[in-house]
Amino acid sequence: MTEAGILLKLRSVSKNYGATAILHEIDLDVHDGEFITILGPSGSGKTTILRLIGGFTQPSGGQILLDGGDIAAMPINRRPFNTVFQDYALFPHLTVEANVGYGLAVRGTPRAETAKRVADALELVQLGPLGKRFPAQLSGGQRQRVALARAIICRPRLILLDEPLAALDVELRRHMQTFLKSIQTEIRTTFLFVTHDQEEAIAMADRICVMSAGRIEQIGSPHEVYYRPGTEFVAKFFGENNLVPGTLGPVDGATRAIDTAIGRLVCAVDGQPQIAALPAGGPALAVFRPEAVGIGNGAGEGNRIAARIEQVAFGGASTMVNAAALDQPQQVLKARLQSRPDGTALSQGETVAFTVPTSACRLVPA
Amino acid sequence: MRLADRAAPALLITLTLFVFILLYGPLMVPIVSSFFTVSHGAVDWSQPTTAAYADLTQNDSVLAALWTTLVVGAGAVVLSVALGTGLALYYASPRARGRQFLQFIIFLPFLMPPIITGLALLIFFRQVEFERSLLTIIIGHTVFVLALVYRTILTRLQSLSGSLVEASYDLGASGWQTFRLVLLPNLSSAMVGAAILAFALSFDETMITLLVTGTQSTLSVRLWAMMRLGFTPDINALVALVLLFTTVLCLVAVRFLMPASAVAGSDDD
Repeated sequence: MTEAGILLKLRSVSKNYGATAILHEIDLDVHDGEFITILGPSGSGKTTILRLIGGFTQPSGGQILLDGGDIAAMPINRRPFNTVFQDYALFPHLTVEANVGYGLAVRGTPRAETAKRVADALELVQLGPLGKRFPAQLSGGQRQRVALARAIICRPRLILLDEPLAALDVELRRHMQTFLKSIQTEIRTTFLFVTHDQEEAIAMADRICVMSAGRIEQIGSPHEVYYRPGTEFVAKFFGENNLVPGTLGPVDGATRAIDTAIGRLVCAVDGQPQIAALPAGGPALAVFRPEAVGIGNGAGEGNRIAARIEQVAFGGASTMVNAAALDQPQQVLKARLQSRPDGTALSQGETVAFTVPTSACRLVPA
Repeated sequence: MRLADRAAPALLITLTLFVFILLYGPLMVPIVSSFFTVSHGAVDWSQPTTAAYADLTQNDSVLAALWTTLVVGAGAVVLSVALGTGLALYYASPRARGRQFLQFIIFLPFLMPPIITGLALLIFFRQVEFERSLLTIIIGHTVFVLALVYRTILTRLQSLSGSLVEASYDLGASGWQTFRLVLLPNLSSAMVGAAILAFALSFDETMITLLVTGTQSTLSVRLWAMMRLGFTPDINALVALVLLFTTVLCLVAVRFLMPASAVAGSDDD
C-alpha cells in the first residue's frame, strides 16, 4: 500500500496526557525528499508530532505508517530516522569525531569505514579541521553543524529537526537556514523541521504544516499559506493582514462575493474548493495582504474601499498606512506601500480609496 | 557612611569566627595534645613528643581495627555505589513508578538516629537468624550511606541533558550501549566523589557498627572502647589521624563533585 512519493503517513494520530489532549486526530503525509516544516506557536503540538515520529513518545491513538507498516510501537533505536535536538544533545565527553561516528560505532561499523564516513560528514558540514575538539570548545553554530553531521551519517530516511536554530542569534540563524537548505538539497534526504518562526518556515520549507492547539490548520507551500490562508488562524499568523468580516454571497466562476460593513468585496476562490463550497449566507472573512493594497483615485481593477488615513509610519523599505473605513470606522485597514525617496504624499485625515485586486482578496471561514 | 553600615560587616565577621571556633576549637584540643606527653591524666605542655604515634603502629588491636574499617568501607562503597547508581537511574527513567516512596525509603535510615537504624538492623538480623559478622557491618553501613551516594549520583544524572539518552537511542544504540557509552562516562566522577564520601562516612560510623558487629572492631569502635579506660595519648593520636584522614577524603570528594568548568573558551564561527 506504499504510495509513490510518500515516505511517512500519519493517520488519525492523537496524543493525550491524562485528560489533556495535545494532538487531535492528525493526518499528515511526509513526501519523499521534501523539506517539510511543522510551524506553530508553543503548545500547538508541533514538537509532539516530531517526538511521535522519532519514537520518543507513543501516540494515544492512530497510526504512523512507514512502508505500509505501523511503526507507532517500534523502539527509537530501530527507526530509520535521526534527530537534531533543540539543545543539540552532543555527548560532552566525546570529541567531535566520536560524536559524529557514534551512530556507526554502536552498529559495529568497521573502524576504517567509520573514519572515512566521519571525515566525509565533517567535510559536508564544513567542520573538517575540528574533529579532535570537544563540544565545549565549539561555538553554537559549530555545535549545530556537529549535530547535523551526526544525524546524517547513518543515512536515515528522514531527519527530524526540533527547533535547531532557536538558540542562535539572528545573523547566524539566517546563515544556518541557507546552509541547512543547501545540505538538504545536496544529500536529498527528507527533512522534517519544527519551528515557531514564520519567517524561518517560509525561507526554508517546500511545504509548511501550520498547527494550532493540537490541530493542523493548513498544509501548503509557503506561498499558499501566505497568500491563500485556509483558516482565520493562518490568515493572522503570518505577519500583518487585513481581515474584514461579512456574509458570503454566491460563487461566480473563480470568484465569490462577500457582503461586509464596508461594502461588497469580490474575492478569488480558485484553487480553494473548500472555500467555494461554504454555504451562501454564512459568515466568513475577507482577507487581503497590506502589500496588495493600492491607494489612489485612479480607476483600478477589483475592490475599492473609501477610507480615512489615521497614521502613516515610515518603516524603511516600506511605509505602513493605517486607515479607518468610511462606512465602518471600527474597521481598520492597513496598506504597505513601497517607500519613495521623496516621501509619500499621504497625510493624516485625508480620505483616499483603497484598491484591492480580486486576485489578492481571499476568503476564510469565520 | 552610617555607623550601622560599617558595624554590620564587622559583626558578621565576629559571628562567623565565633561559629568556626565553636565548631572546630574542640577538635584542636586532642590534635594539639597528641603531640605532648600525658602524665596522670593531664597534658604536660612542656614535653612535646610523637611517641603516641609510634605506639599506635605497635598496637595490634588498633591495626586490626584499621584493617576491619578498610574492609567494611570498601564493601559498603562497592555495594552503595552499585545500588545508588541503579536506584538513581531508575528514579530518573521516564517509566519509573513510586518515585516519592523510593526516595523516602532510601533517606529514612540516613535521617533516623543511628541508634534506631542500628537497633532495627540488629532485631532484623536476629529474627532471620543472620549471624553477626563483618558482613552485617557492611550491610549496616551500606544502608546508612546509600542515601548520600544515591542523592549525589542522581544530582549529576539530573544535571545531564535528558536528550543525551534520547540522542543515543536515536542513533541506534541499545540500552546497555547507552549506559556504557553515554551515562557511565558522564556519571563516573560523581560516582567516585560519592564513593569517597561514603567511605568517609563509613570510616567514622560508630553507633550502627556497635550494634551489628560480631566480634570485629572498627577503628571508631576500638576508639570508643579505649576511651572507657580513660584518656591516653594513643587516643589523642588516633583521633587526630582519623580527623586528618576524613578531612582529606572530603576535600578529594569535593574536587570530583564540583561541576567541570569549561575545557576552553569557545571559538567564533
